[in-house]
Amino acid sequence: MTDSSNPAESKRESLISELAEDIVQDAATIAEPDEDRLEQVDEMTAEARRRLSFEVSVLLNEAVTKLSPGRAYEERKETPQRTFQRFGVNFRLQHALMFVSVIILIITGMPLKFPELAISKFIIIDLLGGLQNSTLIHRVGAVGLIIVGVWHLFYITFSRDGRRDFFLMMPRPKDIKNFFQTLLYFFGRRPSPPKFGRFSFIEKFDYWAVYWGMVIMIGSGLIMWFKEWFPKYLFDIGREAHSDEGLLATLAIVIWHFYNVHFNPDVFPMSWVWWHGKLTEDEMKHHHPLEYAEIMESQSARIVEEKLKVADTEEATE
Amino acid sequence: MARFSRQKELIGTLVIYFLVALGAAGPVRGEQKCLICHGKTDHHKIEATGRRVSLYIDTSVIAASVHAGKKCTDCHADIVDIPHKTVAKVNCRRCHYSGNPVGAPQGEMYDQYEHSVHGLEVGRGNRKAPVCQDCHGSHDVLRHDLPQSKFYRQSIPRTCGTCHLDIYATYRESVHGSAVELGNTDSPVCTSCHGEHNIERPDLLDSRVSPIHVTETCSGCHGPMGVVAKYGIKTDRIATFEESFHGVAQLMENMMVANCASCHGYHDIRSQVDPKSSINPANIPGTCGKEGCHPEASARFTSGRIHIDPSSEESGFLYYISRGFLVLTVSVLAGLFIFIILDLFRRAKAARGQK
Repeated sequence: MTDSSNPAESKRESLISELAEDIVQDAATIAEPDEDRLEQVDEMTAEARRRLSFEVSVLLNEAVTKLSPGRAYEERKETPQRTFQRFGVNFRLQHALMFVSVIILIITGMPLKFPELAISKFIIIDLLGGLQNSTLIHRVGAVGLIIVGVWHLFYITFSRDGRRDFFLMMPRPKDIKNFFQTLLYFFGRRPSPPKFGRFSFIEKFDYWAVYWGMVIMIGSGLIMWFKEWFPKYLFDIGREAHSDEGLLATLAIVIWHFYNVHFNPDVFPMSWVWWHGKLTEDEMKHHHPLEYAEIMESQSARIVEEKLKVADTEEATE
Repeated sequence: MARFSRQKELIGTLVIYFLVALGAAGPVRGEQKCLICHGKTDHHKIEATGRRVSLYIDTSVIAASVHAGKKCTDCHADIVDIPHKTVAKVNCRRCHYSGNPVGAPQGEMYDQYEHSVHGLEVGRGNRKAPVCQDCHGSHDVLRHDLPQSKFYRQSIPRTCGTCHLDIYATYRESVHGSAVELGNTDSPVCTSCHGEHNIERPDLLDSRVSPIHVTETCSGCHGPMGVVAKYGIKTDRIATFEESFHGVAQLMENMMVANCASCHGYHDIRSQVDPKSSINPANIPGTCGKEGCHPEASARFTSGRIHIDPSSEESGFLYYISRGFLVLTVSVLAGLFIFIILDLFRRAKAARGQK
């Protein structure tokens, strides 16, 4: 080993020492503090701090804005959603009188359909103080319902809105088509539900169901009220019809109408249309796209007309 | 020796026989004491009013009654001397109390009687109100299953009729009374509706014939399991009444509405073919038109069957109305329900799709 004059070995040793020197040099640069790199780290920390404080202040700002009613109201005022008047005051008052009457009628009427139930006896005897009171209250409700019926007949005859709506309420072949299209949509055979106008087939069904119910309930109710004027067999038929249609109407209201205006995920817990009668633009587009399109068309037509008129008058003045 | 003793034995036996006979004849002797006077057929007293009252007692009547073998003083306990001036009314409760040692039958009758209309009147001092012996008899108390008994089923109306004479006269002509006269044992007598020891005023709510209980009382025979089916009388009358407005109102504790008796009468219930019946077609307008019911009732108002069952095909048009509404209600509600379910499923699907 002492004799290390082997040329290959000496070359290897020189290479190793070269590598070692390189490593030592690199290590020296890392170990010694580099002014430039320190500056870089400081800059990065400052940047992170700035961003963090910015994000937090934005978040806080948003939270304060959202939680402050005054600010939210102002914001909404700034960007008002366009609304469409669906039901006028007259129609909404009809609905209000109707539901007050119907609630009275159901409370005082249904116990007599199921007299053996404890709750029926509780309502009639304990709550209302006996049959004489409950039948009197039932007649008060009946007068309310009859007033609504007559009022509505006048409304659809003499009011412009009423006439238009009654005409639009008439069942058409399109409604049957829409019904089957809706079923196809339910079963996933259609990408979207059919497009409805002012009244969908569902709303038409509701309206005519109430129409039929009013005729049956008021007719049979009057026979029973003034039973002395009618033969007994007509009274029996009236009583059967009143009792059965009353149950059908009650169940239809509780199951169907309450689903549509209360429990439906779109409107839960309640749709306020009965109160303000308004629909938002989104609701219009979604539920009554054809009516929406019609309104838009007529509005743009009116605007065009007005502009033409202005142009005409300008021409005339010139 | 043996012979003498046999003679002695014979004499002893005879003496014993005699003594036994003497002992057995004891009550007879007591009765005979009473019968010294009361055994004479012409024994009588003259009341202050001048009425002659026979005081003759026929012992065979007592011997045939359930109290055969009892001594006079067992019941007439107040008599200790002979001759006696007065005699108090017999108190049956001397023996007929619960736990009595002589085995006299006793149930709730006394307590029931005390609260009955008769017992209350007696308690109030009404001398005319009946006590036990007025209905059950005094010396001639018999078991109720003997035809001679005052309480044999067919004889009850006559027994009650001794006091309630006008009602008995009305009842005898009614469909129930005439059937009883003809020997029918299913037809109700007074006690079938009014009860026995627990008869109460009809205007008391607890009474079996009060407006609120009369339907229940009639349903015993005219109800679904009633005996009237045997005679071709419909048993759905109670059910159809309960479904009617009158029945519903009665369930709601309204006392003003008609019950069975309001239209059919009570003591004077007659078949509808009887021209005197309150439910004879010619008389129905008057029956419905009673004051306080439907004074405006006309022949038109009452034209139509009264006990009508909408669920029976016999009701004609009414039946089809009822069926029609049933079909309509079930189909409409099933349709709406399915529509709601489909709508909810589609919404759920759309919501998942958006995510």
